[in-house]
Amino acid sequence: MLEPRPLKVDAPKMTARSVNVYYGAKQAIRNVSIDVSMEDVTAFIGPSGCGKSTFLRTLNRMNDTVASARVEGDITLDGEDIYAPDMDVVQLRARVGMVFQKPNPFPKSIYENVAYGARIHGLASARADMDQIVERSLRRAGLWDEVKDRLHDSGTALSGGQQQRLCIARAIAVDPEVILMDEPCSALDPIATARIEELIHELRGRYAIVIVTHNMQQAARVSQRTAFFHLGTLVEYGSTSEMFTNPRETRTKDYITGRYG
Amino acid sequence: MSDLVVLPDRAPTEWRGTAMRRRIARRYAAERRFRALGLLAVLVSAGFLAFLLVAMLGEGARGFRQTELSLTIDFPAAHLPLTAQAVAREPRRAMIGVDLEGAVANAAERQYGAGGARLLSDGAWLTARDAILRDPDVLGRSITLWVPAATSIDIAAKDAGEPAAEAAYAKLSGRGLVRTVFAWHFLTSADSTDPTLVGIWGALKGSLLTMAVTLLLAFPIGVLSALYLEEYAPKNRWTDLIEVSINNLAAVPSIIFGLLGLAVFLQTFHLPRSAPLVGGITLALMTMPVIVIAGRNAIKGVPPSIRDAALGIGASRVQVVFHHVLPLALPGILTGTIIGMARALGETAPLLMIGMRAFVATPPGGFTDPSSALPVQIFLWSDEVSAGFIEKTSAAIVVLLAVLMAMNGVAIYLRNKFERRW
Amino acid sequence: MSAPFLLIVIIGLAIAAWFTARARAAAFAPPTDGAQRPHSRPGQHGWYTALWVAIPALIVAAAWNVASPALVTRAVLAEPAAASIPADPLERGAILAETRALATGRVAAAFHHQAPVLAPAYAAARLRYGLMGLALAIVAGLAGGAYAYSRVRPDFRARTPVERLVMALLLIASLIAILTTIGIVASLLFESLRFFAKVSIVEFLFGLHWSPQTAMRADQVGASGTFGAVPLFWGTIFIGAIIAMIVAIPLGLMSAIFLTQYATPTVRRWVKPLLEVLAGVPSVVYGYFAALTIAPAIRTAGLAMGISSASSESALAAGLVMGVMIIPFVSSMADDSLAAVPQSMRDGSLAMGATQSETIRKVLVPAALPGIVGGVLLAVSRAIGETMIVVMAAGLAANLTANPFASVTTVTTQIVQLLTGDQEFDSAKTLAAFALGLVLFVVTLLLNIVALRVVKKYREAYE
Repeated sequence: MLEPRPLKVDAPKMTARSVNVYYGAKQAIRNVSIDVSMEDVTAFIGPSGCGKSTFLRTLNRMNDTVASARVEGDITLDGEDIYAPDMDVVQLRARVGMVFQKPNPFPKSIYENVAYGARIHGLASARADMDQIVERSLRRAGLWDEVKDRLHDSGTALSGGQQQRLCIARAIAVDPEVILMDEPCSALDPIATARIEELIHELRGRYAIVIVTHNMQQAARVSQRTAFFHLGTLVEYGSTSEMFTNPRETRTKDYITGRYG
Repeated sequence: MSDLVVLPDRAPTEWRGTAMRRRIARRYAAERRFRALGLLAVLVSAGFLAFLLVAMLGEGARGFRQTELSLTIDFPAAHLPLTAQAVAREPRRAMIGVDLEGAVANAAERQYGAGGARLLSDGAWLTARDAILRDPDVLGRSITLWVPAATSIDIAAKDAGEPAAEAAYAKLSGRGLVRTVFAWHFLTSADSTDPTLVGIWGALKGSLLTMAVTLLLAFPIGVLSALYLEEYAPKNRWTDLIEVSINNLAAVPSIIFGLLGLAVFLQTFHLPRSAPLVGGITLALMTMPVIVIAGRNAIKGVPPSIRDAALGIGASRVQVVFHHVLPLALPGILTGTIIGMARALGETAPLLMIGMRAFVATPPGGFTDPSSALPVQIFLWSDEVSAGFIEKTSAAIVVLLAVLMAMNGVAIYLRNKFERRW
Repeated sequence: MSAPFLLIVIIGLAIAAWFTARARAAAFAPPTDGAQRPHSRPGQHGWYTALWVAIPALIVAAAWNVASPALVTRAVLAEPAAASIPADPLERGAILAETRALATGRVAAAFHHQAPVLAPAYAAARLRYGLMGLALAIVAGLAGGAYAYSRVRPDFRARTPVERLVMALLLIASLIAILTTIGIVASLLFESLRFFAKVSIVEFLFGLHWSPQTAMRADQVGASGTFGAVPLFWGTIFIGAIIAMIVAIPLGLMSAIFLTQYATPTVRRWVKPLLEVLAGVPSVVYGYFAALTIAPAIRTAGLAMGISSASSESALAAGLVMGVMIIPFVSSMADDSLAAVPQSMRDGSLAMGATQSETIRKVLVPAALPGIVGGVLLAVSRAIGETMIVVMAAGLAANLTANPFASVTTVTTQIVQLLTGDQEFDSAKTLAAFALGLVLFVVTLLLNIVALRVVKKYREAYE
């Protein structure tokens, strides 16, 4: 099998070269190389257990929280090695935000949920500053109009779709450069999903966005680039339209046409 | 405000700036401090435990040792109204009315000068009596015995005495008339007013009898209740009432059970005071909820598939439970029972309420005899004024902790050996 | 006839019945083609018959045990030698009691001269009626057994009644919990009501002066004692809910945080049981430790700090040691609560770039707070019901003071104090102990109900 060539991106935001991930003795990711661009939304697709979420979590070092996980290879953000000893993981995660599968708002008020990141990183010096950050983040997440009158209600009292947009607002509040989304719509109904997809469109260009999804239609709708993972390897990576109309690999074709998955 | 209002973009965060670097350094310092605080909390707790155990073991180890004094008794010179023949014929009767105590005191005064009798324990004459009973012929000659020394000498021998006693001990020790030995009698005798004579066996036996009653009552009742609640109980208000009662009983302070025992078993049913029987029943009521709760958890752990399998081949509901569920849940139930029993063994307050705090100088012979119990004995000795009781109290605590540790060890062994996951 | 012997005989009979009936049932022809299989297994027939032997025999034996002493006494009084016994019931009772003691060998000599005369007659009557009882029990057992044995046939459903009995047994066992609860409530209420007939409930609950020592003579000052329990309530709260919690909450919570969030699994596996040992040490040991080691040290420290009122029975000593005892309790409740916070909360915070301690302080602990609060309430309820530490290390002086170096007394200390030693059961002093017990029971019960409700609600929130 030919090594998939990393698709070259002009001025990539993040790059990964020959990444291997192990959980204890088990290898979860084999030799993955990929570039993430600032302008485009990148989708990771593949059957469940293919390692796409694992790989996503190496991009902001969330795998550090798993004691048995080990990462090899080079991953850079703006050319800096994020696994270098002098890379500060706290800063890294502020710059590379993350949205999870299940909405996970903190059991605090809507306001405090959004303000949380800005508070811990000390981004606002005055109350008015913080109000502005909260409002702008909620506006960008398309949630402002729905919650502006009840900012001090609990974040957990919102509907599932609203909760997920709150989590997006929370991630936006610290002004990240990259946003990683790990199957953000898998726990939502179709209407809420459409709302999130719309939001991703609006956010495109402002942030480098990487979205993991098991839903190919969703990948086709929201992304400009798609990477297909299978059994821990990157099978194919290219522009979304090309991949869906003219896949180069048979495995990609089989997956896209629903042969397995 | 409409959605069209566009807020100005923030300037990008200066992650590399000095202010941000300093801030992050501060946050990491806070992280280290917080972590250190957590470690400190664990160390303080563990340190307290270590301090407690070391203090008790150190003090207790002294309680297991006893100082003895060499004493020469010249029986013919003592003119005791006692003959070897009489003793050989009817030992107990012959001893009645014989002032052996005086003879021993005189021997001490003769050997050690005025005040010599005060060097000996009040029970020194018992050693002489035992020597006579062992061999009545000693009455015809002079013998040298090792007899227990008085508390002051005992403490001096263990380096903590008063100046006068220390001086006396130094003199004796120089002449080789004093030795320190393991106090076997501490493990074999009962309470006494003299700290050099006390033993733990009376209290330990009382505790064992009490625990036997507790186990006999609490285990079957607890297991049957747990089986009923988990396997058969219909969902209704009665069942709810039973559950609420059990959960609340598990949280009722132990002294309340003592009040129950006093009012019901002693005042209403007139059962004997200070008896292991009443203590055992009282503690059984306290231990039963613990066993029920542990039992229910163990029974819950048996997978429903096993019940379905047995029902499927035509077993009745009673057969399913007694042939399959109970044997599988038994290790868990036993572990819970041992832990509950260990707690009951350390309980003091309820036993005080039902009068198990009397001075009992002989080990109890049965379930209705007046008796003490290990923790109560500790409490009683801790109240004694005589300095000799301090190390005896600690020694009793060592015995209690040893028994508890053994019980918990068995529980852990059972859990590890039989723990199974479905 | 001694009860254990009777019991052994009955059990022996039942075992014999079990084997006989089982053997008979086992001899039923094995099912041939077309024939009906026996409904019950041989062992079930065995149980059925054995129970039919044991239960009637036990009932007869129990009834005889109740009735026979009166019969024996009547028989003894009918003896010619008993004619000289005075008719005065008091003296008559004393003589009979002594006779009984002589006959059973509990005493060797008697005070009344009639007693030794009657003793042999008494022993004989006892033996006679004892044997009679044994015979009756055996007859009842055999009759029951014969009836059951006659029913052992292939088509008899022996299993059903046996299982019904087992179910009844299970139900009875579980009713004991209710009985115990009723017993506690009834005895506390009953004695408390008698107390409140002597002392007004308002004075008890709101009075500021506690001095239960009743005088020897009625005309002395304070002859009746005063029972204002507020100083006791304060002392209990001060030691159990304030000082002990100041020790236990930070240490327990931080230990739980360290062990669940920072420690490696190996450290956790070793240290957690070690902390639980603290909970396994009996309170009498803590009490001794507090009285012997901690209290003098605190008094010395207090005097060194210029607090002249520093007592060797300070509230601080008892509270500190009680706090240490409660640490594992708080720690394990906090441990459970923290573990119940979903992993996604933690991930969410870490993914924002929060440090671990920020995640713990700002997300995990607030999220786990209801569970932790519930745990603390349970810990308080345990601390205020704790007896031995305060009996041994806290004082008896009912002071209303917030000075931790001074001596205060607690509800449990006073209960022990009031009920220790010989005293008549009806005095206000004794009954006061039950009133205090009732207050303690009600308060701990309420604390537990509230705590469990809080914890349960919190658990549901994350399910």
